[in-house]
Amino acid sequence: MILVEQLTMRLASGGREVLILDNVDLRVAPGEFLAVVGPSGSGKSTLLGLIAGLDRPTSGRVWLSGSEIVALPEDEVAALRGRLIGFVFQSYQLIPTMTALENVMIPLELAGERDARARSRLLLRTVGLEQRAHHYPAQLSGGEQQRVAIARAFTCEPPVLLADEPTGNLDQTTGRNVIDLLVRLHKEQRTTLVLVTHDADLAASADRIITLVDGRVQRDERRPGR
Amino acid sequence: MAGSRRLGFLGVMAWRETRGAWRHFLFFLVCIALGVGSLVGVSGFSATLERTVRKEARSLMAADVQVRVNRPLSDAGRAALESWRRRGAEVVAASELVAMAANPASDATALVELKAVEPGYPFYGELAVSPPEAARALADPAQALVEEGLLTRLGLEPGDHFQLGGADLLVAGVILKEPDRVVGAFSLGPRVLIGPAALAATELIQPGSRVRYRYLLKLPPGQPTAPVVEELETALAPEFARVSAYDDAQPRLQRFLQNLTVYLGLVGLISLLVGGIGVANSVRAFMQEKMDTLAVLKGLGADSPTLLRIYLLQTLLLGGLGSLAGLGLGVGVQWALPSLMAGLLPVRLEPVAAWGAMLRGVTMGVLTAGLFALWPLLGIRAVPPARLLRREVDEEAMFQAGGRRPWAVAAAIVSALALLALWHIGQWTVGATFLGVLGAALGLLWAGAWLLVRAARRLPVRRARLPLRQGVANLHRPGSQTVTALLSVGIGVTVMLAVALIEVNLLRQVDDHLPEDAPTFFFVDIQPDQADGFSSVLVRRGLPAELTPIVRSRLHAVGEETVAQMKLEGREDAWYFQREYVVTARAELPKGNRVVEGAWWPSRPGTEEPLISVEQEAARGLGVGLGSRLTFDAQGRLITATVASLREVAWSNLGTNFFIIFSPGALDALTPTYLATTRTAAPAEDLPLQRAVVAAFPNVTAINMRHVLDAIGSILNRIAHAVRFMAAFTLATGLLVLAGALAATRYRRIRETVILKALGATRGIIARIFAVEYAVLGVTAGLIGTGLACLLSYIVVRFFMMLPWEWDGAVLAMGLAAAVLLTVLTGFLTTLRVLGQKPLAVLRRE
Repeated sequence: MILVEQLTMRLASGGREVLILDNVDLRVAPGEFLAVVGPSGSGKSTLLGLIAGLDRPTSGRVWLSGSEIVALPEDEVAALRGRLIGFVFQSYQLIPTMTALENVMIPLELAGERDARARSRLLLRTVGLEQRAHHYPAQLSGGEQQRVAIARAFTCEPPVLLADEPTGNLDQTTGRNVIDLLVRLHKEQRTTLVLVTHDADLAASADRIITLVDGRVQRDERRPGR
Repeated sequence: MAGSRRLGFLGVMAWRETRGAWRHFLFFLVCIALGVGSLVGVSGFSATLERTVRKEARSLMAADVQVRVNRPLSDAGRAALESWRRRGAEVVAASELVAMAANPASDATALVELKAVEPGYPFYGELAVSPPEAARALADPAQALVEEGLLTRLGLEPGDHFQLGGADLLVAGVILKEPDRVVGAFSLGPRVLIGPAALAATELIQPGSRVRYRYLLKLPPGQPTAPVVEELETALAPEFARVSAYDDAQPRLQRFLQNLTVYLGLVGLISLLVGGIGVANSVRAFMQEKMDTLAVLKGLGADSPTLLRIYLLQTLLLGGLGSLAGLGLGVGVQWALPSLMAGLLPVRLEPVAAWGAMLRGVTMGVLTAGLFALWPLLGIRAVPPARLLRREVDEEAMFQAGGRRPWAVAAAIVSALALLALWHIGQWTVGATFLGVLGAALGLLWAGAWLLVRAARRLPVRRARLPLRQGVANLHRPGSQTVTALLSVGIGVTVMLAVALIEVNLLRQVDDHLPEDAPTFFFVDIQPDQADGFSSVLVRRGLPAELTPIVRSRLHAVGEETVAQMKLEGREDAWYFQREYVVTARAELPKGNRVVEGAWWPSRPGTEEPLISVEQEAARGLGVGLGSRLTFDAQGRLITATVASLREVAWSNLGTNFFIIFSPGALDALTPTYLATTRTAAPAEDLPLQRAVVAAFPNVTAINMRHVLDAIGSILNRIAHAVRFMAAFTLATGLLVLAGALAATRYRRIRETVILKALGATRGIIARIFAVEYAVLGVTAGLIGTGLACLLSYIVVRFFMMLPWEWDGAVLAMGLAAAVLLTVLTGFLTTLRVLGQKPLAVLRRE
C-alpha cells in the first residue's frame, strides 16, 4: 500500500522557487491500478519519483508498505526500492553498456538472487524479446527497449509498479502494446500499478484516475466495476 | 555462500562496466604500467646486483677470509695467521700499490696499479690470462702480466720489456679477468700483476711507501667464517687490521649499489605517483560519463556502498592489469639498466627473475590505482537518483559534492599513499625526506596552478584577438584540466631537470678545468734523500715545486682509551678511528684552511707536549674538541698531542690537505717521505714531465689529476645515464597524464570546435586557440619545474654532496624549451582529431 501525506515539493529554477507539488494527499490500495493525468508541468512525474524515493520532498511524508521513506537514509530507501518498487521511465533508462538480458538481471543480482539469469530469460520471453537477449540497448527499437525496461521492472516481482509516461517516446501502436503488457502483468501478478500519462485513452483502462493541475489533486475519479 | 555470490556480482558488474570502455581506460592502464614498470625494473636490477654480489662473493674476494693492513704484519700477527695454517687453512699474501711503468724504448710512461701475489692466488674465481700458460709468469722475477690498457699506453706488445721501479720486466701475457679486482669502476691505471720475487726486484717498497697488504685465507672445508674472523680480529687488533669474510665482504660496494638503487627507486616511485594522478583523472572522467548509469542503478535499488564497491573493484582489476603490463616493461628496464652502467661493476650481471620485487610492484600498482581512484569514486554517493526524472538536475553535482567527501577521507587517502611509499622505500629517513620534498613540490606546483587559473581569469585579454582570448579562457573555465596538467608535467620537468643540474654540478667538479691554483700532479713516495733532486727537476722545467714531508700513522688512543679497546663494529664513525692518517708538521696554516675554533700554534716554550690541529668533520667523527689528547702510532712510536685548533678545509681546492697537522718539530724524530705537487699549464706538458720524473726517480709515482678527474667523470657519466633513463620515465608519465587530462576535455572541445566552425572559424584559428592554451601550460609548468629543479638540486648538491652549486643557464633554457615543446606537441597529438570534426554530424547528434 502507498500512502502520501501533505506532500509538497519546491524546486529552485532559474533563480526562483517553483512550487511543483502542493500538499498532495493520496492513498493507493494494494492491487489497485491508478492513472495520474494532467497537463505537462503539473507535477505528475515528481509525485511518482517521490513515491519511489528518487528524491526528497520539501515537506510531507510517504509510506511504502508501512515504512515511512522520507525520513530514511538514502541507501535504505534504495534497498527498499529494490524490494518493493518496479519503475518504468519515459526514456527507458536502460544501461547502455549492458545487454538486454543483463539489464533485466540487475535487480535480481542486487537482491543477491541465485538464478538471476534463468528468471530474467523467462521474463524476456514474457515480453517477447527472448531472441534479443544479447543485444545492447542501442541495437533495439524504442518499443523493444521499453519492453526490456518493463521486464526489468518486474524481475523482482515487486508489489508496486510505477510507470512514468511509458509510451511517451513511442508511436501509437507500439505504445498500445506496451500498455497492454503492463496491464497484463499487473493483473497476473496482482501488482499495484501507478501510471502517469497525459493520454486519456490509456488512462481509461485504470481502476482510478486522479488529475493533477498545478501540483494539486484536482479530481479523483473511481471507476467501479472495472 | 551469500558473501561469495555477492563478490561474484560485484565482479560481474565491474567486468560489464569495463568491457566496452577499454579505450577510455587506455591512459589508466599505461600510467600504471609505466609506474610499475619503473619500480619493478629498479627492484629487479637491485635484486640482480644483490644476488650476483652474493653468488660471486667468494671470487670477488678470491678467498674465504681476508686481512687487510697498511703495513706488513708483525711477527705476532704472522703467528696468528700461522696458527690457522696449522689448522688446515691456506694463506697467500698480496701487496697492492700504485707505481709508474715506462717503456724504455719510447719514453712512454703510465701510472699502474701494481699487485704482487704469492703462488696459490686466487683461491676462488679465475685468473684468466692470454695465453693461458702465461700464468706461470708469477713465479718468475723478471716477468709480469698486464692489462690490455698498459700495452696501448706504453706502445708495447706481449714479449716486450718495460721498466717498473728498478726492475726490467717481460710482458708474459695479458690479463683478461682478475676475480678480486672489485671496483672496476675507478682505478688509477691498468693492472700489472707480478710475483713476490719481481716485486722485490722493483725496489718499490721503501719506508713510508703507500702499500696495501692483503692476506687471503682459504679455510678447510666445513670451517665457518665467523669464528675465524672473530679470532683474527682480536689477535690482529694491534695491527689495525681489517678482517672480513667473503659473505659480508664488499660492504662499500654493497652500500654504493644499495644507495644507487634506492635513489633510482625513488625516481621510479615518482613515476608511479604521477601515474596515480592520471588514474584519478581517468576515473573522474569515467564517472562523469557514468552519471546516468549510476542514477539508473540507484533507481533499481542499488545503494551507494554497493556501487562504490563495484567501481573500486573495477579500478583494482584495471590496476592489476596495468601492473601486469608494467611487469613486462619492468623486465625490459631490468635488462636495460646493467648495459647502461656497463663497466661500472666488476662482474657480469645476469638478470634474475625477482619474484618478490614483481609481487611488490604489482601490489604497489594495484593499491596506488585504488587509492588515487577512491577520491573521484566517492562522488558516486552524490549522484541523485532524481536525475532519472529531471535530466538537468545537478549536472555539476559530482563536483559540488565536495562537502560529502570529508577532508578526513582525503587525509586518510594521502596517509595511506604515504605509508605505501614508505613501505616501498623501506628506509624511514630517506622515505620521510622523499615524502616531504615531494609534498612540498606538489604543493608549490598546485599553488602555481591556482595562481595561473586566477591570473588567466584576470588577464586583460578581453579585447585580444580570438585565439589568444579563447586559449587563455580554456585555462580557467569550469572543468579545465589546468591543475592536473601543471602537476603532472611540472613534476616530470622537475625530476628531469634536477637530475640534469645535479649531474652538471658534479661533472663541473671533475671537469677539465681544474680549480685555479690546484695542482695538476701529485708525486708520492719521494724518499728523503731524493727531495732536493726532485725539486730541482721541477724547477729546471720552470714549474712550481711544493714538497711536503708526510708521515703515515694510525690513531692509537683518544684520551686514555685505546682504539683497540673500543667497540667499533658496525659503527658509522668507525672509519675515523681505523683509517690511516697521513700527517705533517708545519708552521703556517695551509692555503684553503681556516681555523674555526682555538688558535693556530700559539707561541710558547717548545718543550711541552706537541699540539695538533684537527679538521672539523674529523673532530666531530672522533668526538674530540679543543684540549682533547690524541695518541698516534707512527713508525712504531707513540706520539701524544693536544688539540689546539679545529680547521675548516676547502677540500675542493684539490691541494695537499690534511685531517691532522702537528705543530712544528713534533715529528722530527721520524723519517718522513715527501709528497710533491706542481701545476703544469697545459696537458701537453704532462707527458714529458712524467717521463723525466720516471727516468730520474723510478720509485716515485706520478698521479696526473687531469686523468684522475677524467676517470671519475666517466663513472659519474655512467651513473648519470642510469638516473636519466629512470627520470625519463617520470617525464613520459607526466606527458601521458597530460594527454589523458586533455583527452578528458575532448567532448567539450568538439562542441566548441563545431560551433566555432559553424560560425565561420577556420581550422587554423582553432589550432591557434589550442596552441595558446598548451603553450601557456607548458611555459608555466616549465617555469615552476625549473625553479623547483634548481631548489631540489641545490639542496642535494649543497647539503648532501657538500659541493658548491651553480646554476646552468643552458640546461635550464633547454629544459624550459623542451617543456613547452613537449606540452604543445602532446596537446596537439591528443586533440588533433577534434580539429577535423564535421560540424553538422556533431550538431545533429545533440
